[in-house]
Amino acid sequence: MEGLFFNVNNGYIEGIVRGYRNGLLTGQNYNNLTQCETIDDLKLQLGPAYGDFLASLPPNPSTSTLAEKTTDKLIAEFRYVRANAVGALAKFMDYLTYGYMIDNVALLITGTLHERDTRELLERCHPLGWFETMPVLCVATNIEELYNSVLIETPLAPYFKGSLSHQDLDELNIEIVRNTLYKNYLEDFNNFVNTDPDMAGTPTAEVMTEILEFEADRRAINITLNSFGTDLSKSDRKKLYPSFGRLYPEGSYMLSRAEDVEGVRLAVEGVSDYKTYFDAAGMGQSSAGAGNMSGGSGGDGKSLEDLFYQKEMEISKSAFTRQFSFAIVYAWVKLREQEIRNITWIAECIAQNQKERIGNYISVF
Amino acid sequence: MSGATNREAVFPTRQSLGLMKSKLKGAQTGHDLLKRKNVSEVIYHYPVVQILSSHATTEITRRIDEAKRKMGRVMQIAAFSLAEVTYAVGGDIGYQVQESAKSARFRVRTKQENVSGVFLPAFESYTTDGNNDFGLTGLGKGGQQVQRCRETYARAVETLVELASLQTAFVILDEVIKVVNRRVNAIEHVIIPRTENTIKYINSELDELDREEFFRLKKVQNKKQRDTAAQDAEMRLKLAAAEKAEAASGATSSDKENEAGTGDILGESEDADVIF
Amino acid sequence: MAAPASAYKDRQFLAVIGDEDSVTGLLLAGIGHVTPPPDSQKNFLVVDSKTENAAIEEAFNRFTTERKDIGILLINQHIAERIRHRVDTYTAAFPALLEIPSKDHPYDPERDSVLRRVRRLFGE
Repeated sequence: MEGLFFNVNNGYIEGIVRGYRNGLLTGQNYNNLTQCETIDDLKLQLGPAYGDFLASLPPNPSTSTLAEKTTDKLIAEFRYVRANAVGALAKFMDYLTYGYMIDNVALLITGTLHERDTRELLERCHPLGWFETMPVLCVATNIEELYNSVLIETPLAPYFKGSLSHQDLDELNIEIVRNTLYKNYLEDFNNFVNTDPDMAGTPTAEVMTEILEFEADRRAINITLNSFGTDLSKSDRKKLYPSFGRLYPEGSYMLSRAEDVEGVRLAVEGVSDYKTYFDAAGMGQSSAGAGNMSGGSGGDGKSLEDLFYQKEMEISKSAFTRQFSFAIVYAWVKLREQEIRNITWIAECIAQNQKERIGNYISVF
Repeated sequence: MSGATNREAVFPTRQSLGLMKSKLKGAQTGHDLLKRKNVSEVIYHYPVVQILSSHATTEITRRIDEAKRKMGRVMQIAAFSLAEVTYAVGGDIGYQVQESAKSARFRVRTKQENVSGVFLPAFESYTTDGNNDFGLTGLGKGGQQVQRCRETYARAVETLVELASLQTAFVILDEVIKVVNRRVNAIEHVIIPRTENTIKYINSELDELDREEFFRLKKVQNKKQRDTAAQDAEMRLKLAAAEKAEAASGATSSDKENEAGTGDILGESEDADVIF
Repeated sequence: MAAPASAYKDRQFLAVIGDEDSVTGLLLAGIGHVTPPPDSQKNFLVVDSKTENAAIEEAFNRFTTERKDIGILLINQHIAERIRHRVDTYTAAFPALLEIPSKDHPYDPERDSVLRRVRRLFGE
């Protein structure tokens, strides 16, 4: 039933995005990339997929400029899609950008706190998280001004409201601010896809709920694992867990009480997927804790974060099996981001002569 | 005097001669010591430098190259772990890291070790507790990689600190050796000849003084003799006059024996004078 | 020969002049230090293609001569190359100057000013 009028407004977008998805690098492409000896070779191999965007690169570009250019393509495509989107899809895509906005805002807060030149800050912002009032931030010179006159005007204002005051911005660690915002954002996004009349009960809601729940769980687990050994208290940590997801509420509660990796493992035991990851990453049995400590040299096994990325990609890939869904836009952006990460990783391995680990990229096609 | 231009301005006295002699002795001992204290000796005393020490110059440079290359490798591994962070976080953390740096967790202690009179610096790294500017970096994602990267870099910095000690030791050594060589040369070519010259000068002056003194003494003696002789003659004249006067007055009253007696005495004395 | 204790005893920080990646990594290791306000001096400088040589030189002077709390100054070799004349004429023992490689510029021993001095010292 939901498919009846979907194409009236969104059929074009869906077609475009599916086209983009087919343009993603495949396992075969990646194989070719890993055979490259120099960045120039790599550039050549990327030619068909990225063509114009890499043309302006100087010979043997640095990996960061390569990443920049590949991101440019994603942004150009995203903007095109966004420009053609209407109604609920447009709103959906705006939601998609809020995540990047949070990063940008965190960056701006950090910069303002340290009285940096805000123009320089703007250059560093993620283009997807660009919002109209962002240049106005240049006016703000202190944190109170930033909060009262600028942040309030951003789409992120509701995420600040109620959980963060301008004093908090000054005192709390920026990471806590960022994760608080992100939690509110995820909750809001989840709420949006499940209550919006255009999406509730459609495949969009179904797929997006799965994606967002996974994202929420991943963040909760990561925050818990990464907070060990820091001065983040358990009660503060608990405030950063999104209030939905497959772990919520029992798992979240157990996470909030976890004191070590073992505790986290127990907390996620209820969800078989996560339990498998923990076992695969070799965590929880020994006190070795967060990954191997050999610092970049060892590590044949995948880390927990790798497995999470893998899972995210699989969910994103399967999103394309559903029709009449906005979720494919989200999935496409995520797949594309992973692709950029993969390219950067491979380029980094080539540039730094660390070929033995070049296979650590994640490819799902 | 030939060495007049190259000697120290001293009064040629016996005391300064003694001083100069002890100075020369000191300079010679110092020279011998300094000559022995060459690069290798300093090196062998210093454990860190020892690693690199060898008489073959190529060997030394090779080892330093090696140490520096090791740094290259360590730094590469560290840079790679940063690439892992970029991968895991999915973005650039550089700016945030720069802005959240507040207080150094990783510091060095600087001390100097006395190695046969040369102070060689040594850096010692230590971490201060309770300083954790980046504990929460990558909280949402990538935190594990960030922590791993921190450890890798901390190890890399330790290597760097070691290398810095080593390198500074060489810089100072370079300086020390230059100074030592300068000193050896100075002692050999300036101080020793100059002191020797001074000693020669003092000796010759003292000899000269000796000769003068001897001559003067002789003069004094001569004069004294002349004076004595003159006095003697005068005395004799006086005596003779007195005798004559006595004889003139006493001839009327005294007998011949008296005359003979005095005549004997005079005769004896005159004889002695002739002998003398 | 002994430098007075005051010349080195307060030297407890490392300083770094480098590209963004090098600085980020070293800061992660925990060498970053910002002196308390109001002057808020940082012990690191990020150099990119837009940074002028004069700024690098100024930072170099600040870390080597002005500040007395720096024990070791790390500088990316390719940046040292840009102010080579200053680096080559730097002979003081404190702070120690160490040229380090960067991600994009592997280490070249031929250019290292100290290594050159070491070689000269051993008569090459």
